[in-house]
Amino acid sequence: MEIFQYDFMQRAFIAGIIIAIIASVGGSFVVLKRYSLITETLAHSALVGVAIGLVAGVSPIAVAVVVALVSAWSIEYLRSYFNIYSDSILAIFLSGSLALAIVIVSLAGAFNTSLFSYLFGSILSVSTEELWIMGGAGTVALLLLLGFYKEFYFIAFDEEVAQVSGIRVTFFNFLLITIVAVIIALSIRVVGTLLIGALMVIPTVSALQYKKGFGATIWLALLFSLSAVIVGMLLSYYFALPSGAVIVLVILLIFMISLLVNRHS
Amino acid sequence: MRFHVPVFETKDLCVTIGNHRVLSHISMQIFQGDYVAIIGPNGGGKTTLIRVLLGLQQATSGEIRLFGVEQKKFTSWNKIGYVPQRATHIDTNFPATVLEVVMMGRTAKRKFLGLEHDDDRTIVHHAMVTMDVANLKDRLIGTLSGGQRQRVMIARALASEPEVLILDEPNTGVDVVSQKRFYDLLRQLNNEKQITIVFVTHDIGVIVDDIGRLFSVNETLVTCNNPKEAISCEDMSKLYGMDAHLIRNHHHH
Repeated sequence: MEIFQYDFMQRAFIAGIIIAIIASVGGSFVVLKRYSLITETLAHSALVGVAIGLVAGVSPIAVAVVVALVSAWSIEYLRSYFNIYSDSILAIFLSGSLALAIVIVSLAGAFNTSLFSYLFGSILSVSTEELWIMGGAGTVALLLLLGFYKEFYFIAFDEEVAQVSGIRVTFFNFLLITIVAVIIALSIRVVGTLLIGALMVIPTVSALQYKKGFGATIWLALLFSLSAVIVGMLLSYYFALPSGAVIVLVILLIFMISLLVNRHS
Repeated sequence: MRFHVPVFETKDLCVTIGNHRVLSHISMQIFQGDYVAIIGPNGGGKTTLIRVLLGLQQATSGEIRLFGVEQKKFTSWNKIGYVPQRATHIDTNFPATVLEVVMMGRTAKRKFLGLEHDDDRTIVHHAMVTMDVANLKDRLIGTLSGGQRQRVMIARALASEPEVLILDEPNTGVDVVSQKRFYDLLRQLNNEKQITIVFVTHDIGVIVDDIGRLFSVNETLVTCNNPKEAISCEDMSKLYGMDAHLIRNHHHH
């Protein structure tokens, strides 16, 4: 295929596949914990990191990882130790982060195309260095998710029984949200901060429509996510459309098909 | 004679939630091999007592020991199998087969990277056979009846090879036939496997023949070490507003 003659397309596909894998696997635990909106919130926090990076002239992705982590830990801390509803905390952090990002960017007069590429994704401009960061951090994230999937799964199913059985629930909740924050910051280049939530949540929600056990659900989510990223990128290449948005539309299509196929069962 | 340390021990345990005193000065001991039923009116503090014992809720004052160890320092949680009150009303859309749920019971004992070993599978299979759910192993948890789901939750608790099983009103929403079978299984676990059983229920009439001791909780605690002595228990039941009639009727059989 001519499409793979270009180095940047090869990098784009590798980046897309890495993100498809970690976003769907990481997202599945978040969905099962009924915590989908954390992805949107952390994506907006990551945007603050991008803004700082752009203004300060350092790697926006690296700063995004740091800011997303700080935000994730603050959210989990507030959720665990204060009497505030989880979804209220998420709403506060989501709009607060966006406001902060806008102020930082406008102070520096940096409203430009480079900011847009972080908002909507710009997979074709992924550098080799960024690919290494995604590959390295993505592998660590995946190993942690798989290594502790039983803990995450048990906690998602029944947090209290998990705690009584001796699982360190608070630790694993922090670990999961940390992994999710890293996945989101890494995904910004592929689909952008405004669209990453879809990539983490929709594959699992689609897979859940088939009413299978956990193992089968994870594999289905992975399959949907990979298909959406690959098909989305091919479509965006041949029709010259923004890849992040096309990927999300393909996942939405998979979701709608999953709903229709399973509507009577 | 029993000479070991109590599985659960509280001294002068008090729990206040807001301005409401839920438990007052509870001192009790539960020993290995005991079969204890905890009864009492709704809102009387039965569930709170269980949750405080398990560290899911804070005591306001008093002392709690698990297997002789102060609760805050206790780490051998895998000795305790817990089946919570809402076990029969779980999220029916959760993607979990019966096998996957029972396998959760092995989580705290799992090996590196969560790999399942042959002994994990053997123990899980055995737990499913004991609770008579092995034939359901590939069914989704959400598609089971209340009674089946309840047995799955107990199988999960058994898969962790506990020394004590705590059940909080697990018979809520379960039909009479399933309940009978369920009580038989509990008695079997207590007799044959020497598993200590602590059981919260409204339904004292059905199990009075099996249980070793009866704790009645309504802010304070009264223990009845021989529940089959209908007179004392009947008095106690009156005191706590339970249906004493049920107990006495049962003993005419």
